[in-house]
Amino acid sequence: MKNLLNFLARYNNLIIFLLLEGIAIFLVVTGNDYQNSRVLKNVRVLSIGIEKKISNTRTYLNLHEINTKISQENVDLRNKLDRLIKSESPLFFSVADTIHQQQYVYTSAEIVNNSTNRQKNFFTLNKGIKQGIDVDMAVTSGEGVAGIIVSSSENFSVAMSLLNLDFRLSVRMKSNGFFGSLSWDGRDYKYAILNEIPQHVIINEGDTVETTGYSAIFPQGKLIGVVSDFEKAGGDFYKIRILLATDFKKLNYVNVIGNLRRTEQKLVEKSYQ
Amino acid sequence: MINSIIRYTIIFIVLILLQLLLFNNIQFSGFINPYVYIMFILLLPVEISPWLLLIISFFTGLTIDFFIGTPGLHASATVLSGFLRPYVLRLISPRDGYDPGATPSMEIYGFRWFLIYTLFIVLIHHFSLFYLEVFRFTDFLRTFLRVLLSSVFSVTFILLAEYYRRGR
Repeated sequence: MKNLLNFLARYNNLIIFLLLEGIAIFLVVTGNDYQNSRVLKNVRVLSIGIEKKISNTRTYLNLHEINTKISQENVDLRNKLDRLIKSESPLFFSVADTIHQQQYVYTSAEIVNNSTNRQKNFFTLNKGIKQGIDVDMAVTSGEGVAGIIVSSSENFSVAMSLLNLDFRLSVRMKSNGFFGSLSWDGRDYKYAILNEIPQHVIINEGDTVETTGYSAIFPQGKLIGVVSDFEKAGGDFYKIRILLATDFKKLNYVNVIGNLRRTEQKLVEKSYQ
Repeated sequence: MINSIIRYTIIFIVLILLQLLLFNNIQFSGFINPYVYIMFILLLPVEISPWLLLIISFFTGLTIDFFIGTPGLHASATVLSGFLRPYVLRLISPRDGYDPGATPSMEIYGFRWFLIYTLFIVLIHHFSLFYLEVFRFTDFLRTFLRVLLSSVFSVTFILLAEYYRRGR
């Protein structure tokens, strides 16, 4: 007993160190998983108040640019709408029919917190469960893909940015339809890496890359970026650098896309595994 | 005693605010992320008892964690720095030892001593932080480069801040 007390007295600092370090590592391992962290969510509500104020100011300063972008998007959408109305055949349901035809629902949201300088980047949106946003919805900017919702509280939600080492997305080359896996290598916020395109495929710089929709999160054909350069890596695959269409440093307003048939698709796929 | 507690509280708040509002927003191609709040741990008195140092380190890291949203990440790095600080101080102690009640400062122990001291602690902190953040050893060299570049920035800032503190 005396020996034990002596031991404790002698190494008390080491013991405190190991204890605190243990707590910290435990927090890292369990708490960084955004879906499970309740503590974090509560604390975020505190700091979000401040972040909102900062974001408001920033948005105000960028108002001109945002306006131009939105009007540009409006023009694009109107054009598309016109085309759709003309080509619509009376045999099919109208696109606005929410029960039978519509697969994707769109809503817009504002970013209140964002980062591009870490290895695992997330951004926070000002809408949550109350506004219909839920986990596993897709987030796009006006230009292209931005991220995926990983956690949502009543009025806020956190999305995993494309600029995150854990982000994976199934994408394809628009020109020939070959698909591969998109990830970010943590280097430059402007570029992502596309793997698993076999070497017999002909690719060129400037080729468009878009989403496939295999994951039932993103709709098909959402723009990701263009091929910037490529090299033949080991194995039979290319390593392609993609210049991202979305500028993550200017992200202000985003669209959130929910897939109404996701549960159905997942259910069917599950029954075969 | 009360005086120095107030002084350290002010230093703490100023450093945390600087870190959150200024240094977290430096986005330089992802390679340079200075973490200057570690200066708080550098400045604590030489003779502070190790267990108190550890607990202060832990809560300093935790504060940063809460605002950045990375539970435990900074805390683990600061606790390690706090644990190794007494050993670093012993390693580079001046010939006639430290005066009782002294704080590690450039004014008393000179520029060279303070540079070495800062370099040691910042490197320990940044190393554990960046490798724990990435949590894998692929791209080992790139993380290494990030550690070195960020450390250079952090150390430079801390030296400037310390120089300014001395001037007042």
